[in-house]
Amino acid sequence: MILTLFAVCALTFFLMNVIPGGTAELVLKHTLVGLEDSVSKEQVNQISSRYNLDDPLYIQFFRWIKEAIVTGDIGTSYVFKKPVLYLLALRLPATIQLAGVSMVIAILAGVSMGIYSALKENRISDHILRIVTLFGVSMPGFWVALLLILIFSLKLKLAPVAGYGSLENLFLPAAALSLHSVAAVMRVTRISMLETLGQEYIRFAKAKGLPLWKIVSRHALKNAMLPVITVIGFQMGSLLGGAVVIEKIFAWPGIGSLLVDSISARDLPVVQGCVLAIVTMFLFVHFLVDMLYTHLDPRIRYG
Amino acid sequence: MDNVFANRLRKKSFSLPEAYGSQFAKRVFQRKDMLFALAALLIFAGLALFAPFISPYDPNAIDLKNKNLGPSEEHILGTDYLGRDLLSRILIGARTSLSIASGVVLVSLFLGTAAGCAAGYYGGLVDESISRVIDIFLSFPGVIFALTIMGALGTGIFNLMLALSIVHWAKYARMMRGQVLSIKKQEFVLSAITGGAGDFYIIRKHIVPNAIATLLVLATIDFGHVILSIATLSFLGIGLPADVPEWGAMLSAGKEFMRTAPYQTIFPGLAITFIVIIFSILGDGMRDILDPNHEGGEID
Amino acid sequence: MSLLEIRDLSVEFPAGENTVKAVSHVFFNVREGETFGIIGESGSGKSVIGLALLRLLPANANISGAVLFHGQDLFSLRPSELRKIRGKCISLMPQNPAGALNPVLKNRLQIEEVFEERGIDKKEGMKKSLRLMKKLLLKDPEKLCDLYPHQLSGGMRQRLVACMSLSFEPELLIADEPTKGLDPEAKEGAVELFTKIKKEYGKTMLLITHDLDLALEVCDRIAVMYAGEIVELDKASKVLGTPLHPYTKGLVRAQPRNGLVPLSGQSPSRISLPEGCLFHERCRYSGIECFRKHPEMKNHKGGWIRCHFQSLQ
Ligand SMILES: Nc1ncnc2c1ncn2[C@@H]1O[C@H](COP(=O)(O)OP(=O)(O)OP(=O)(O)O)[C@@H](O)[C@H]1O
Ligand code: SF4
Ligand SMILES: [Mg+2]
Repeated sequence: MILTLFAVCALTFFLMNVIPGGTAELVLKHTLVGLEDSVSKEQVNQISSRYNLDDPLYIQFFRWIKEAIVTGDIGTSYVFKKPVLYLLALRLPATIQLAGVSMVIAILAGVSMGIYSALKENRISDHILRIVTLFGVSMPGFWVALLLILIFSLKLKLAPVAGYGSLENLFLPAAALSLHSVAAVMRVTRISMLETLGQEYIRFAKAKGLPLWKIVSRHALKNAMLPVITVIGFQMGSLLGGAVVIEKIFAWPGIGSLLVDSISARDLPVVQGCVLAIVTMFLFVHFLVDMLYTHLDPRIRYG
Repeated sequence: MDNVFANRLRKKSFSLPEAYGSQFAKRVFQRKDMLFALAALLIFAGLALFAPFISPYDPNAIDLKNKNLGPSEEHILGTDYLGRDLLSRILIGARTSLSIASGVVLVSLFLGTAAGCAAGYYGGLVDESISRVIDIFLSFPGVIFALTIMGALGTGIFNLMLALSIVHWAKYARMMRGQVLSIKKQEFVLSAITGGAGDFYIIRKHIVPNAIATLLVLATIDFGHVILSIATLSFLGIGLPADVPEWGAMLSAGKEFMRTAPYQTIFPGLAITFIVIIFSILGDGMRDILDPNHEGGEID
Repeated sequence: MSLLEIRDLSVEFPAGENTVKAVSHVFFNVREGETFGIIGESGSGKSVIGLALLRLLPANANISGAVLFHGQDLFSLRPSELRKIRGKCISLMPQNPAGALNPVLKNRLQIEEVFEERGIDKKEGMKKSLRLMKKLLLKDPEKLCDLYPHQLSGGMRQRLVACMSLSFEPELLIADEPTKGLDPEAKEGAVELFTKIKKEYGKTMLLITHDLDLALEVCDRIAVMYAGEIVELDKASKVLGTPLHPYTKGLVRAQPRNGLVPLSGQSPSRISLPEGCLFHERCRYSGIECFRKHPEMKNHKGGWIRCHFQSLQ
């Protein structure tokens, strides 16, 4: 995980520095907003040498890594003139709140509806749920967000259009963000549950005279959850990606909207910081998923 | 008992490339949902292809007198904030999305197949290093990665294709690698190797034909994802230049007028959803046909 | 008096537009205290019969006929009533012990769950089970309970499953291919195990098997199945000692110690069964009649046989 993180750092760092125009020029332009055209060659050179921007990229990268590890300093925003770390700390809670709530919704709703759908295989309710799932995984998250605003905020006036702070504000963004994951989780839960229910140990459990609810909750659920957990891990990635757009639409002050704004403003250190923060969260969730998987499957635990 | 049954099914599914074509087509024709999706896709592609000839208006013709109109006889889907005909723009947008997505999927498929083949076939250090790279690429959430690359490259059709290909190839590579590893163990490959066939020959004749079906399923499903990514990036204003008609960008512009002209937010989104659903149905159907043991039993 | 009576049992599975005839018009009864064997090639419909008795087939199966247990039709029971019978009065020892144990649950839980369901004290039940496990030649049963199924050997799993299905000393035990997939050594053990179960519990048993040795050893009567039908039914020693039906003869001759002469050919497709005798394509004795007319079950010297030429043999 550490190694991957290091590689991700390197990749983003080099990506950020292949930008045409050169970093020094960008820094200057940010300083002299409105006077961009007056930037002169000398000024560029001056800045370059001040920040050691003339060194080869890999040296810059290792300097950056050293700073990051030794002092925790991962750069300073060109726009806000503040340490990137400070900005991230400011924005992180909002993103964690939104993504976390959406994840919980995705797991609870997705798993329970998936089980229900599997138990009602090929009945009407199963078909309806499957069609809903198909739409759920196919609708772009930002469009769902716009529709929700259109219906719940503008037409029904039930929820605020945008904002952050209260529970009311969380409602629409979380719904828009989680829909895709709910559908995805539900889909694998259904398939995995059906597969598990066809297993011989389920038949044996029935032959033992156990009631349906016990068969499902004790014998089927744990087995059926194994592939679901993997998918949940991947859904975290799509949630974090989706959060970028959703935060932007609902003016949610998280890392996602910071990332988009920084990209538009070419505020490279912040972009880099945001990407790192998001990837770290993603990898962390994957790590948790792996642990959970091993915990649930004794065949892995005891080789 | 279950074995007997499973074997029977397995026999029906096909592992030899020659059997693909005819059997596959027959199966597709037995499935109404796939037929329907296929027909819809053909219509959509046709519309996209001939968009310049069939669209009622010039998609870029600005007509400020008729801006933000609702659906009417003249403008079936209404007009946008510059008075441009929404239907024409959606049709031309289909062209943008489908062509970019085709490019991305083809490039990713090609790159992924090549990398996956190399990793799976040669193993050892080659596999180690390629797998590492794949892992790193997959540890970025897709949209974030694409955003970052676009941030570095700037907007543009070529840049968008490049960025999305960089993001998507790793999935194909990983799947291809897995396929190669399992195909490599099979008898006909082993006998070809013992028979002294060259690496390239074996890859071309035995490995790729046997793995390609699975990869095409992935490509089909992925096609929808790529379209979603294109729309998302454009929506954020980081994908295509503002003057290219694209569904995501249309939504982004339309959302400013949501109060007075909501259909501008509705129709382009419908178009995206529709096309993604088509690819979803096709991909799932193909997977069901290739892997009939996918679904399990029932419970009373 | 017969404990279990099966009347005209047929099972079909839909397969696309066709139907697979897994079991057709099967009649037999199992008397109290006897061990009744069902033998036949793979795919002949043995397991389907066993599962149909307890209504354990997938929901898409079309089942017709009646199964009377103590004179009560099992097919007309409500699910909750059926549940009371499953595991307690009639229990199933499934075909593949490795698949029958839930891989993610500890053995102990899988043993004791039947007790808690029937309102019996878990500790009490476990004590009984542990005793049973010892009797069934399992060493160190306490320790075994704290393991997961994949940590046991094939033979141990089989015994464990056997023990689970004997938890309530059921009146009828359906054992489906208890020797399938076991190595020769474990197979020996299985014969021993079943002789033991039979002696100690003296209960009625329906033994489904490929293994003619096991069948001869423990069964009192045997039914021979071919392509979903019973073709011969008689005392075990008669069926396996002096087989009458050409198919049974073939099965017996295919035994290793009888020279391993395999039956040539394959069972007919179960989607479109041939006319006449289902076995005629492979039968060495077939005559013209065999192609035209489907033979009925006929009484012959105390047993039953389905062949046009039974009296000639
Ligand atoms: N769920 C099912 N769906 C469709 N066909 C089935 C199903 N279960 C069994 N069959 C079919 O029913 C027939 C009888 O199968 P059965 O399992 O009873 O055979 P068996 O005698 O137990 O064979 P084995 O010795 O291999 O266990 C087979 O042809 C099988 O393909
Ligand atoms: S009826 Fe004819 S074909 Fe059938 S078993 Fe008897 S002799 Fe053979
Ligand atoms: Mg069987």
